[in-house]
Amino acid sequence: MRDLYQRLSLTPGADDNAIGTALTQCQNSALRQDAQTVLTVPDRREKYDDLHATLSDIGRLRARLGLTHGAHWQGDVANDFSLPPDHAISRHDELVDRVSHAILLYNRWRRFRGPWLLVALLATAGSIGLAAGFALCMSLGTP
Amino acid sequence: MSIARFSSFELVLLKSRNQVDTAVLLLLAWVLVKREHVSEGQRRRRLAQVSAQFRHGHELGPVMGIAHAQDLQAIQLAAEIMRKDCSSERSLSVMHQAITLATDDGEVSQHNHYILRFLADLLTITPATLHSLFHELTGKPLAAPQDLSSDAYWQVHDPYYHQRQEQAAQRENAQAQEAEQKRQQQEQSREERARRKRDDAQHKRDSQQQKHDEKQRRQQEREQERERHRQSEQQRRQQQQRQKQQQHHKQEQRRESAYQPPQDRTSRALEILGLPPGASRHEVRRAYRRMAQLHHPDRFFSESEQLAAQASVRFQRIKKAYDYLMQTY
Repeated sequence: MRDLYQRLSLTPGADDNAIGTALTQCQNSALRQDAQTVLTVPDRREKYDDLHATLSDIGRLRARLGLTHGAHWQGDVANDFSLPPDHAISRHDELVDRVSHAILLYNRWRRFRGPWLLVALLATAGSIGLAAGFALCMSLGTP
Repeated sequence: MSIARFSSFELVLLKSRNQVDTAVLLLLAWVLVKREHVSEGQRRRRLAQVSAQFRHGHELGPVMGIAHAQDLQAIQLAAEIMRKDCSSERSLSVMHQAITLATDDGEVSQHNHYILRFLADLLTITPATLHSLFHELTGKPLAAPQDLSSDAYWQVHDPYYHQRQEQAAQRENAQAQEAEQKRQQQEQSREERARRKRDDAQHKRDSQQQKHDEKQRRQQEREQERERHRQSEQQRRQQQQRQKQQQHHKQEQRRESAYQPPQDRTSRALEILGLPPGASRHEVRRAYRRMAQLHHPDRFFSESEQLAAQASVRFQRIKKAYDYLMQTY
């Protein structure tokens, strides 16, 4: 399957006017014929767009997984939907990183739980004492 | 390090007892989601049936939801886990399951054609193995995916293709006729306006000229008598001359039609190559090389078909001009 949008230099969400002008400007008569058949009839275009979305996703997946030259990825599809490989970090490595980060935080919390709890206790005791003192002052001052 | 929260698939994966099973489950759910003519309940039941021997130990609902959303990051993660941890026997069995899920009753959907091939590449299954596996399971050879972007596909698969084509043609005809009619009407109204103006102008002129004409008529009658003598002599001479000229003219026309003026075409060719008239052969060659490099269609091959086609037209023109100049210079 070819990517008609790319070949007509359109975006997949292009409206009918844009498609019309692109069709009139297109000089390849075979391409124009095909694009007119597929893109100007709404329910055909809907089916085409659906498959187009899946194929773009598969193209993206293949680029990220390094499968753009796979034995099963050939012809027009491979030409039109392959992207240059991006060097994004692998999802699995990212997951492992995130989990190890979470473990680190958890362990740190377990280790320093005693001192932290003491500090928290002192802070709450101090604030309660202050509040009580303030209330006492107010009650003494009013009569 | 990213501070993003764990995605729903990552959480499922972390809770899973067997990560590979969960990853396989997501990819199989993806295949199921892209199957056509199946209800949601049937999909869930089928997935439960397939995963009876899996040891993931979590609900299927969230996995199905992720597959429906076609969450690219989740699918990528599942693919990575599967590629990392699948033995060759396991990968064959996964392919087996995917094919049965895609073809429970007959046809593989267009989506699944590509998804199955993606899985085969991911699991390093060669095309020969995939084809034989498919043949074993379904009794039919694995067909190539059909081309939805071509006119031929819709001729076969759209039952209303010819009706629609006729309707479109009729619509175009009707539009063309309307445009034609409008044009004709406009022309007619324009002509009428022009005629009215002319008529008005003539009425004025006629009344003025009537007086003028009477004077002129008397003068003309005198002059005409004198001239008749001269004209009779001149006519004889002119006829002789005309015959000679016509013969001469025909010969010239024959020559001209075969022979275009050279100056014009040469200067046009030079203009195409961006040179002033009177450039040398060496300059022409250098200009041609530069222009050919600039406008070669292969440069636009990756951009779009339309740009490439335009470039090839330009390139043809440049090449023709160069060829002509090389012949004549």
